[in-house]
Amino acid sequence: MSHAPQADFSSKNTQLGPASFAARNAAVLGVIAILAGVYLGKSGAFNTDTRTFWKMYLVAFLFGLTICLGGLFFVIIQFLTRAGWSVAVRRPAEALASNLKWIWLLFMPILWMFFDGTAGMLFPWADLATMEANDPSMAHLVAKKAAYLNANFFIIRAVAYFAIWALLAWFFTSNSTKQDQDGAMHRTLSMQKWSGPAAILFALSISFAAVDWVMSLSPAWFSTMFGVYFFCGCVTGGYASLALITVRLKRHGLLQGIVSGEHLQDLGKLLFAFGMVFWAYIGFSQYMLIWYANLPEETGWFLTRQVGGWLPVTLILLFGHFVLPFVAMISRWPKRYGVSLAVGAAWMLCMHWIDVYWLVMPEIPNDIGTFATYDDLVATYGTQANGLDNPLNYILTVGVALLVFAGTAAYLRGRSLVPTRDPRLHESLSFENA
Amino acid sequence: MSTATHAHSQAASSAPRPVYGLIAEFENPGDLMHAAEKVRDAGFTWWDCCTPFPVHGLDKAMGVKRTILPVLVFFAGASGTAAAFALQTFTNSFSFSTWAVVKVTGYPYLISGKPMMSLPAFIPVMFELTILFSALSCVGLMFLFNGLPRLFHPLLQNNRFRRATNDRFFVVIEARDPKFLRGKTEAFLRTLGATAVEAVED
Repeated sequence: MSHAPQADFSSKNTQLGPASFAARNAAVLGVIAILAGVYLGKSGAFNTDTRTFWKMYLVAFLFGLTICLGGLFFVIIQFLTRAGWSVAVRRPAEALASNLKWIWLLFMPILWMFFDGTAGMLFPWADLATMEANDPSMAHLVAKKAAYLNANFFIIRAVAYFAIWALLAWFFTSNSTKQDQDGAMHRTLSMQKWSGPAAILFALSISFAAVDWVMSLSPAWFSTMFGVYFFCGCVTGGYASLALITVRLKRHGLLQGIVSGEHLQDLGKLLFAFGMVFWAYIGFSQYMLIWYANLPEETGWFLTRQVGGWLPVTLILLFGHFVLPFVAMISRWPKRYGVSLAVGAAWMLCMHWIDVYWLVMPEIPNDIGTFATYDDLVATYGTQANGLDNPLNYILTVGVALLVFAGTAAYLRGRSLVPTRDPRLHESLSFENA
Repeated sequence: MSTATHAHSQAASSAPRPVYGLIAEFENPGDLMHAAEKVRDAGFTWWDCCTPFPVHGLDKAMGVKRTILPVLVFFAGASGTAAAFALQTFTNSFSFSTWAVVKVTGYPYLISGKPMMSLPAFIPVMFELTILFSALSCVGLMFLFNGLPRLFHPLLQNNRFRRATNDRFFVVIEARDPKFLRGKTEAFLRTLGATAVEAVED
C-alpha cells in the first residue's frame, strides 16, 4: 500500500540557497588550476616531458567528460524505460549532463595540436614519419589504418561527438526545466519518444570517442571491447557522482521527504551493478580473450601494465574497483544510508580516475614483443615508473573537477532540485523497494 | 459419492474436528493493513495475511523480520566459486599417483601453451558455477522456508477464502498460536472491522 506522500515542494526544500564563497569561485579556481597546470607542464616542471603532459591533460579531461556522459546516460535510460522511481533524483543527473554543453572547450587545446602540427606528440598515428624512424614495423601496421586515423577525419568526428552530446544534453535538460513551468505532458512524451534514438547515438558516439581518444594512443593495438569498457567508466563516474550529489543535497537539509533511503538504495544498486560487477565482467572479458589468443600485437598492451610501476596500479584496480567495494556494497544497508553510500561513491570516483589514468598513461615499449620470457621483460622494464607521484596530474584533474562542479552547481541553482511537475513524480515519491 | 462423503462426515462429527484457525475478511488493502498492525501489536505469532496481489508495506505492518535467505545464497555462491576452482584444478593439473591405492590422474590437456594451472581460463567456469549455485540454492531454500511444495492446505476447504485470489483480503490466525482463544480471538478480529470472521477446520 503506497501512502500518498505529502512532500514539501517549497523553495526551502527544493531550492539551493545562495552560493558560498568557495562555490561561487569554483569555476575561477578551476580555470586557474588548469592554466597553472598547462604552464607548468609546458615548461617541463616536475620533469614532465611534453607527451606525458598532454596525456595527463587528456586524463583530466576524460575524467570530467566521463562523469558528465554518465549523467546523460542516466537521464536517457530513465526516459527509455519510462522509469517512475528515478524522477526524484533525476535533476542532479541532468545537472551533470548539462556540462556537456561547454565541456568541448576543454578539448580545444588537443584539437589545436592538429592545426599547429604537434598532434603526433599525443597521437602517434598523426606523425607517421617519426614513427617510421622509430619503429618501422609498427608504422607499417598503422599506415594501413590511415583511412580512419587521419587528422581531418579525426577532427570531423570530434566535432560530431561534441555536437551530439551537447544536443542531447540540451534537449533533455531544457525540456525537463520547461516542464517545471508549464507541466506539459507532451514534453515527457517527446523525451520518451526521442530517448531511443538518443540511446543509439550515445552508444555509437562514446564507442567511437573511446577508440579515437584512448585506443588510438597505442595505434597498433586494438580491442573490440574497448567502447564498452569506456562506457563502463562513464557509468561508474556518472553514477558515483550522482550518488554523491544526492547525499550532499540531503545532508544540506534539502529534498527532505522527497529523496528517501529507497532512492539511495537504487542509486547504490546501479553503482554496484555497473561500477563493480559490470566493470569486472567486461574488463575480464577483454583481458581473457587477449590472454588466450596470445597474439603479439594485442598482448603488449596488457603486458606493459603488468610490469614495473604499472603492476601495482593494475592490482589496485582489480581489488579497489571490484573485489573490495563488491564485498563492501553487496549488502542492503550500505546502499541505504547516506554516509556509507557517499563513502562508497567517493571511493569509486577515485577508482574511476585511476582507471582512466591506467588506460591513457602507460607507454607500450617498441620492443615489447621481442622478449623470450616475462622475466626478461621485467629485467628490462621492471623499473618503469607509473608517474602517479607527479603533482601535475592532480593540479589538472582538480582544475577539471572544479569546472564540472561549478557547472553542475550552477545548473542546480538555476531551477528546482526536483522536476516538480513531472507526471511520474508521485510514483517516485511513493516508491519502495519490494 | 455424495452419500459416502456424508457418511464420513457424520462419522467424524461424533468427535468434533479440531479448528485450524480463524479467518477474517476485509474489503480493501487499507483495512487489512490497519488490522495487520493491530494483530501484530496484540502479540500473535502464528498468523498470516492473504491477498490477491502483493501489498507494499504489508510486511512492515505485520512485523515480518527480514529473511536470512540472501546471506545463505551468498555462501552458496561462494561455494560454487570454490567448487569450480577445485574441479578445474583437479582435472587439469592434479594426480595422486604416489599415495593413492589406485592411481588417480586428472585430464591434463595442454591448450595454446598455457600452464596447466591457468586462473584466467578457470574464471568463466567459476563465474558460471557461482551463478548456478546461487540460483539453485535461492529457489531451493525459498521452497524449503515456505514449506513448499504443499498440495493441501486447510484454508482451501473454506468457500469464503476462495476470494483471496480475487477481491478480498484475509487475516488468518492459527489455533496453534499461544494467544489463540476461540471466542476471544474471534471477538478481537471483529473489532478490527472485518466484514466476516469464520472458523476453519483442520
